[in-house]
Amino acid sequence: MQRVGAIALNTFREAVRDRVLYNLIVFALLLMGTAILFGQISIGVQKLILVNLGLTAMTFFGLAIAIFIGIGLVYKEMDKRTLYALLSKPVRRYEFILGKFCGLALTLLVNILLMSVGFFLALYYVKRGFDAADLPLFSAIYFIFLQLLLATALALLFSCFSSPVLSAAFTLGLFITGSFAADLRELSEALEAPWLEGLMQAVYYAVPNFSNFNVITSAAHGRAVPGALLWGNTAYGALYIGIVLLASMLIFHNRNLK
Amino acid sequence: MITARRWLPPALLLALLAGVLLVRVQQRLDATLGDYRAEEQLLYLSSGEWVKRLSLGYDGLMACIYWTRAVQHFGRQRLGEKEYKLLYPLLDITTTLDPQLILAYRFGAIFLTEKPPGGPGRPDQAVTLLEKGIRLNPDYWRFWYDLGFVYYRGLQDYQHAAAAFYKGAEHPAAAPWMRIMAAKVEAEGGTREHARFLWTELYNSTDDPIMRQSALSHLIGLRVDDEIEFLQGLVGRYAKETGKLPRSFADLAAAGMIPGQPLDPLGNPYRIAPDGRVLLDPQSPIITSTLGRRE
Repeated sequence: MQRVGAIALNTFREAVRDRVLYNLIVFALLLMGTAILFGQISIGVQKLILVNLGLTAMTFFGLAIAIFIGIGLVYKEMDKRTLYALLSKPVRRYEFILGKFCGLALTLLVNILLMSVGFFLALYYVKRGFDAADLPLFSAIYFIFLQLLLATALALLFSCFSSPVLSAAFTLGLFITGSFAADLRELSEALEAPWLEGLMQAVYYAVPNFSNFNVITSAAHGRAVPGALLWGNTAYGALYIGIVLLASMLIFHNRNLK
Repeated sequence: MITARRWLPPALLLALLAGVLLVRVQQRLDATLGDYRAEEQLLYLSSGEWVKRLSLGYDGLMACIYWTRAVQHFGRQRLGEKEYKLLYPLLDITTTLDPQLILAYRFGAIFLTEKPPGGPGRPDQAVTLLEKGIRLNPDYWRFWYDLGFVYYRGLQDYQHAAAAFYKGAEHPAAAPWMRIMAAKVEAEGGTREHARFLWTELYNSTDDPIMRQSALSHLIGLRVDDEIEFLQGLVGRYAKETGKLPRSFADLAAAGMIPGQPLDPLGNPYRIAPDGRVLLDPQSPIITSTLGRRE
């Protein structure tokens, strides 16, 4: 566990050194600009647009970090040959994968926490206070973090056997497909051929269902997120991430590094 | 080898020229494409369901953007060409993307009901929009009030207006005056008093400054109608007593009927048309009066 922690901390430090957290400046500017601009050109949606844009930006900024750092987690170490030095020490391959995942997860956590501070400050500026209707926003942010962890796990998986460009394309492709997951299910119900319906159902359960995690619109309206959804999404995220990480460890374990 | 000092100034100048030229070309393109762009928006994005799918689940954000576009379209057309053909499609897409965006239904209905040139004068579309709102937000009783209001004001269909108020009154959270309003409208049809009550209620039911401003301007319009009705009575009396129409309010003042030149609520003078009708001054910004703008 100590070795996993050491790798995770190094991955986090490396991300900070790579100026990943600079995206926070863009995020802050975006929020301030939005709060001012939409107050001028729209009617009555200043808070709604701030919440929707703030949480969507949080997702996509985080997704960009998860994908573009995630795809290089293994590849970069191999390309720079630093992996060999690392594996010559008493570090198991699965610990390396787990450490890398935890490192990027920590980066994303810090990023999302700082973004949340900026987001709530902007919200305070717009609303001149907080109320109970703002509580669901915490659930929405938690779900965004779960989505990012899932994307990180996927990027890491592809990074174990593919080039960075392909890994990015695969991860992004799965994010988009997973966001359409509800449509896949609808489509399967509309199909007449039973085998096609079965196939579509299988695809529906196989792809990471990112649409599960998107409660931004309802949270923006102050609608509470049911406890069942909180537990369900947590369980779904943990199980899916667990499976993907196991697959990554397995692939990396069997990979010929010579 | 050419040094940077030699090529940099001409290169910068060239880039600057290219930039200026680019702006000119874009302006020409804007002028050429102006007529096509409105059509394009409708052709490509006329289905709210498609926009919802393409938004990858971030439909709340898209709804806010479409709502802003609807507001911008309404405002721009009101000041410019008075062509509101995108208004309903934009409102429909907005409310498909976010069915809980209450203000899009409420404001949208007001925008659509506004008579030309201040709006498209499409209360039928306002009814469709509000019926969609009622279907998707059955807990929000005020949509019934809005629907009754559109029937009352936009379509002058007092039976349907009363039916909407009655229906809304059945809602457990509805205000008690809904049933009274329904009965009054059903019995008396359209009166200025009812309109005044409905606008006052709209004014009191929202914190939004623009919605309140809209309600206030209609209340001012109703007050102008009251005043014009009163002044019109004096003009009639003057004509009866002297056998001729007054040329201005100075004639009425000279006859001791009024103390001086009467002013509308915003301080502009009323005037008397050659045919004896009392009207608002052309410079007066009040556009919500029915009697003051009968030219």
